[in-house]
Amino acid sequence: MMVTKRPLMYWVKSSSLKLQVLLLIVILITVTTRVIPLEMQKKIVNHAIGQKKLDLLFLYCGYYLLAVVVASSLKFVITYLQTYLGQEALARMRKELYEHILKLPLSFFRKTSSGLVVSSLVTEVVTSSEFVGQAIAVPVTNLLTLLAFGGYMFYLNPLLACLSLIIYPLVIAIVPRMQRRSNEANKQRVDMTRILSSKIGETISGIHEIHSNGSYRIENKKYGAFVDQLMKVRIIWTLYKQGIKTTNNFFQNLGPFFLFIVGGYLAINGRFDLGALVAFMSAQDKLYEPWKELMDFYQTYQDASVSYVRLMEYYDVEPEHAVEPTDRKPYELKGDIQVKDLSFTVAGGIQLLKQVNLELKQGEQLALVGFSGSGKSTLAQCISQLYTYTGGSVQIDGLEVNDMTKQDLANNMGVVAQSPFIFDGTIKENLLYSCAAIIEGAGEQAEAKLSYPSLDEMIEVIQQVGLFVDVLRFGLNTLLEVDQQTELIEKLIRVRHNFQEQFGAELADCVEFFDEGRYLYFSSVAANLIFGNPNQTQFGLDQLVDNPYFLEFLNEAQLSHPLASLGRQLAEQTMDILGNLPPDEIFFQQSPIAADEFEDYKALVGRSAGLRLQDFSEHDQHLLLKLALRFTPGIHKIVALPELMEKLILDGRFLFMKKIATDHPGAVSFYRMSDFIYSQTILDNILFGKPRTDHPKSQERISQSIIQLLIEEDLLEQIVEIGMNFRVGTKGDRLSGGQRQKLAIARVFLKAPPILIMDEATSALDNASQKRIQNLLETKWRGKSTLISVIHRLDTIKGYDKIGVMKAGKIIEMGNYEELIAKKGVLYEFIHGAKASA
Amino acid sequence: MNSSTEPKQAPSEYQANLEILMQIPLFSGLPIEPLKLLAYFCKRENFKPGEIIFQQHELDENAYFIISGTAKLILENGGEEIISEFRESAFIGGLSMFFGMKRLFTLRAETPVTCLMLSRERFQKTIERFPDITPKLFEGLVKTIYEWEIRIVSEYNPQCEKCRSSIGVTLV
Repeated sequence: MMVTKRPLMYWVKSSSLKLQVLLLIVILITVTTRVIPLEMQKKIVNHAIGQKKLDLLFLYCGYYLLAVVVASSLKFVITYLQTYLGQEALARMRKELYEHILKLPLSFFRKTSSGLVVSSLVTEVVTSSEFVGQAIAVPVTNLLTLLAFGGYMFYLNPLLACLSLIIYPLVIAIVPRMQRRSNEANKQRVDMTRILSSKIGETISGIHEIHSNGSYRIENKKYGAFVDQLMKVRIIWTLYKQGIKTTNNFFQNLGPFFLFIVGGYLAINGRFDLGALVAFMSAQDKLYEPWKELMDFYQTYQDASVSYVRLMEYYDVEPEHAVEPTDRKPYELKGDIQVKDLSFTVAGGIQLLKQVNLELKQGEQLALVGFSGSGKSTLAQCISQLYTYTGGSVQIDGLEVNDMTKQDLANNMGVVAQSPFIFDGTIKENLLYSCAAIIEGAGEQAEAKLSYPSLDEMIEVIQQVGLFVDVLRFGLNTLLEVDQQTELIEKLIRVRHNFQEQFGAELADCVEFFDEGRYLYFSSVAANLIFGNPNQTQFGLDQLVDNPYFLEFLNEAQLSHPLASLGRQLAEQTMDILGNLPPDEIFFQQSPIAADEFEDYKALVGRSAGLRLQDFSEHDQHLLLKLALRFTPGIHKIVALPELMEKLILDGRFLFMKKIATDHPGAVSFYRMSDFIYSQTILDNILFGKPRTDHPKSQERISQSIIQLLIEEDLLEQIVEIGMNFRVGTKGDRLSGGQRQKLAIARVFLKAPPILIMDEATSALDNASQKRIQNLLETKWRGKSTLISVIHRLDTIKGYDKIGVMKAGKIIEMGNYEELIAKKGVLYEFIHGAKASA
Repeated sequence: MNSSTEPKQAPSEYQANLEILMQIPLFSGLPIEPLKLLAYFCKRENFKPGEIIFQQHELDENAYFIISGTAKLILENGGEEIISEFRESAFIGGLSMFFGMKRLFTLRAETPVTCLMLSRERFQKTIERFPDITPKLFEGLVKTIYEWEIRIVSEYNPQCEKCRSSIGVTLV
């Protein structure tokens, strides 16, 4: 049964039976132990105190204590079991609902924002699960407690018992009426919360547009309106809820009133002993707790039912296709595609595809061209089952695509989408994503032939798509762990020596090599002073400004004052340029001030105008020193480094070396050609210096020489392997658009499916990469995989076996390049027109 | 609080950039605040003789000002055709600041070249912060194109059949 069709009680019934039984037993014991103190109370007053028997007093008090301790401990056990059952149900609900949501058709997600799904899975399910945890324990405990106390009261005095219990039927009559209104409000609350979540989800995914339009006010206003509505609904809902509690409380408090009147009268007349009255009052008092809990439980149940029904209703959509075949193995298809009279109509009767016919034999390659909106991508998506076509048929090897399971298609088809999605994780994980899905999908019956691609295969495919150099660069930009991979480090040191020998002179304009006797313009002032790799955190470049030893050294080197002055110049110059602009990350790439420190320094510059440096507060001087220590003349061009300062810093470097060697030996390892610098990337270690520019041409020159040396040392693959562990960030945002597309192509090539669907798959790539991939398709994949390629650039279509020209949802021309050009039809005009306007 | 009040010292690269920008016709009419930001955003780059500054058919979203050296503009059309030569003080690629385009020519350093480079992204950030300068920029841009076509029309050879269809760019 689909998860959304299950009633709320299902989650109670399906939770662990053993635990439920255990819970019930514990509850029974607890309830019994709860009555004991009452009975003891009576005995203490009547027998022990009344007859002045000390031994009985101790005995009864002992029983009393024992009963209380046992009851409290058991209460804890109950809470634990209850929490476990509730949380376990919550986890199950979350997992099963998530599993269901993932299978829902794409059309469902066009009307459902990610924010809504997040709120459903994160918050909405919680209310329901709370109920599941309590579902058995709370009503059973409290009903039994009520019965026990009630019975005990009857045993003491039936008349009084009746009197004090008379309020409960009243409450039972009134509360459900109020609850109904509360439920109405709760429904509205759930809906409003949902709207709000959708709104937030939408805003965050459109944050670029908001920033570029500066539409903060509009968005704040829209959001604010929803928040206000939610506030109103929540107030109403809370009022009803509290109203129920108050009503209940009121009746509860009436109880003792009857007791005092009638019980007091009977006691005065001597028809009721005092001990019994005290016990009776206690019992009456003890009714309060279970009854309140029952009422709370009733409310939780009502809220949970409302939320639960609302939640499940929303996702109560059938997945369009089964995930896996049940009675057979997934198909192994050859890749003959036959499309007959295919049509696709979306809501509103809009026909996106009309009577499309085409036929591709195994290994044939088809290019789809046409204006945007002509249905090229839609056709590709119908063939790949992403859309469920509404008329005609699409058959692969004679099997209808709509009748296949998701797994059948996933195993036989590779799709590269227009803007492919890259998941957070490493390059390797993303590369293996498609393969891993097949292997996971096959489950236990996986045959031996299903194995993950080898490193060599992965390297081959990233070479093919032109991602090799990028991955290598990621590898080179990695920090290595201290004292691991000693063999690798030895080799890297060798590469460093060879690099200086063979390329040092040639690349001197691209790289600033570490040189004890020279100022490093592409390293910070702090790095220039330390000139080494800090081994203790207090000597880390960012920590130096807070390190008293280092500050004292600056004084000794007569650097404190000049550096603070430099810091002031940096702060003032930055404020002069950026002072009135809103802080934006891009503005701070060339200033030592970080975006989040901007306001601090702005205030500092403001309050220090006209002051002499020595009149600055210590705190401000400290802030300025912090800036100066970060100053990197090669990057922060707003201030020139005075020559005198450069000499002072160089002198400082030697003084520091001398001082630290005696005071803190081992705190810093100075840059030596023979030592690996763990705080710097592999690349910087090979360079033994810093790149002077980030211009691609210099990067290219450096890469080329390093690749050559890495090949000589047989390290290339190892570095690439390190690079494959580069984390690409959420949605792959640490990759460029081109890199993302290449990665998406690579993962499909690695899967090597019999059918390839590429939807403008190379649109973000440079010419060279585009050509390389086109070549690959025409040579390596021709005859192997049936290819349907949606094309945006007409200069790549010559090599295709067939070209389909689409217009308004129809294929209006079909044939190979020569035929269509000879025909002088639409394609001819496309190409001709394209040339004329270029 | 201008740095001129500071004790005497060598001007920073930023200040030098600012002076250069003030000489470029496209920017010369702008107020000082946006110019400062642009000067701050500029980067310098060195090219050796023979190095490609930008490549025909490749997307390049930078404008260049040649601080020193010479560069040749080449049309790769089967062979290599040298179209013109840019020298010191030449400003190239201003249009790329408004629209990302694939280059129709290649620019190659002839001697060692030092360029001031401004990227489209940073230029657009500047406009975003100072939207008032947009009309001024467009004016400068249109004026440059206008003056260009005046030159073409005045040098126009009525015998050249093909040239006729390619004039009239100011009418767009």
